[in-house]
Amino acid sequence: MAIPYFPGCTLKTKATGLDDSTRATLAALGLEVAELPEWTCCGTVYPLAQDNYMGKVAAARILINASKEDDGRLVTVCSFCYNVLKRVNHAIKNDEETRTKLTQFLEEEYAGETKLVHPLELLRDDVGFDTLQKKVNNKLKGIKVASYYGCMLSRPAAEMQFDEESENPTVMEDLVSAMGAEAVDFKYKTTCCGSYQVMKTYDLVVKKVREILEGAKAKGAQVIITSCPLCQFNLDWIQEKIAEEDSSFDKIPVLYFTQLLGVALDVPVEKLGLEKNYVDPKPLLQG
Amino acid sequence: MVKDGFTSKIKEISEQNPNLCMQCGTCSASCTGIGAMEELPRQVMRLLQLGKDKVLESPSIWMCTTCLTCTARCPRGIDIARVMEALRVVNLRQGNEVLVLEDIPLELLTEVPQMALTSGFRKLSA
Repeated sequence: MAIPYFPGCTLKTKATGLDDSTRATLAALGLEVAELPEWTCCGTVYPLAQDNYMGKVAAARILINASKEDDGRLVTVCSFCYNVLKRVNHAIKNDEETRTKLTQFLEEEYAGETKLVHPLELLRDDVGFDTLQKKVNNKLKGIKVASYYGCMLSRPAAEMQFDEESENPTVMEDLVSAMGAEAVDFKYKTTCCGSYQVMKTYDLVVKKVREILEGAKAKGAQVIITSCPLCQFNLDWIQEKIAEEDSSFDKIPVLYFTQLLGVALDVPVEKLGLEKNYVDPKPLLQG
Repeated sequence: MVKDGFTSKIKEISEQNPNLCMQCGTCSASCTGIGAMEELPRQVMRLLQLGKDKVLESPSIWMCTTCLTCTARCPRGIDIARVMEALRVVNLRQGNEVLVLEDIPLELLTEVPQMALTSGFRKLSA
């Protein structure tokens, strides 16, 4: 039975590589997902103002629609979507006023029954890293990979409950090892890349991006993986800008974890959307 | 609009009590935006404790990336990101905004993922 899947806006436009590679890799592992009918934008950011209920309506509608499917789960891979949907679900489940306001507005009965899952959790819990290890080729052998989680997957810990330690998640490193590559630990893995400030305080974001890139490279990383299209953009596009001004700058490809997994699973390269990456990962992956 | 009683408004919107802050500075040390801030998060909290309404005009509140690192690490359990959001929200509801579409360089505007636009405008535009 197919698990309902929520791609989100960015995966249909700028980050088609994340959408394509997520679908292709899950399919290669026998996990069938089906796009949730009539989905809308999730709202992108969780409203932190106590009285902003409107900012939660879109996510609530998506969660309610998912609850009408048989599976009981909803899969989403974009870190922002995952964060908003999970936090709104948590609020509906645990805060009576939020639940009442949102369900009355939407004229639905819902108490947070939908279980939101990230593909990293599916790979760990449904496929299992031991099983995955037996299915991969050896194309990634010897490649050093830095796993960049950013902010949205694991914070706030009490609501996200993503991995064991919010400040030091390890599920992506475990995936890297299972894919046959070499996981490197680096201290910037849950720091923020600067996010939407790229449009307002650009220099700040360049500084954060440089810290993250240099931190990964200092540990010998040859590629960085992430699940967030905004982290991916900031870490990838800004490198091109840095390199225009500094010819000695060493670029490092920034991939979605699903793109790297696709290589390990022999998914045809045209299904991985690698052509949208600014720093070309092909020289590394063709070894 | 009134700046009178603004601290109670901030407490109401954020559901947080800035008076719990003991000024340890863990938030400032953890902050993503600190490199672009005049008043650091710890100082924003202090201005609130003192009831100084000039904090509403502090550019620092707009440098926040809502990464929640401060919130995660505050030893007093204050959700500092919610306090920063409340300070923005009070401004935004009066039409004071900092992200204007026309000011975004075209080269960036055409390349950024859609989520950057929706998140940025939700946090920084009225």
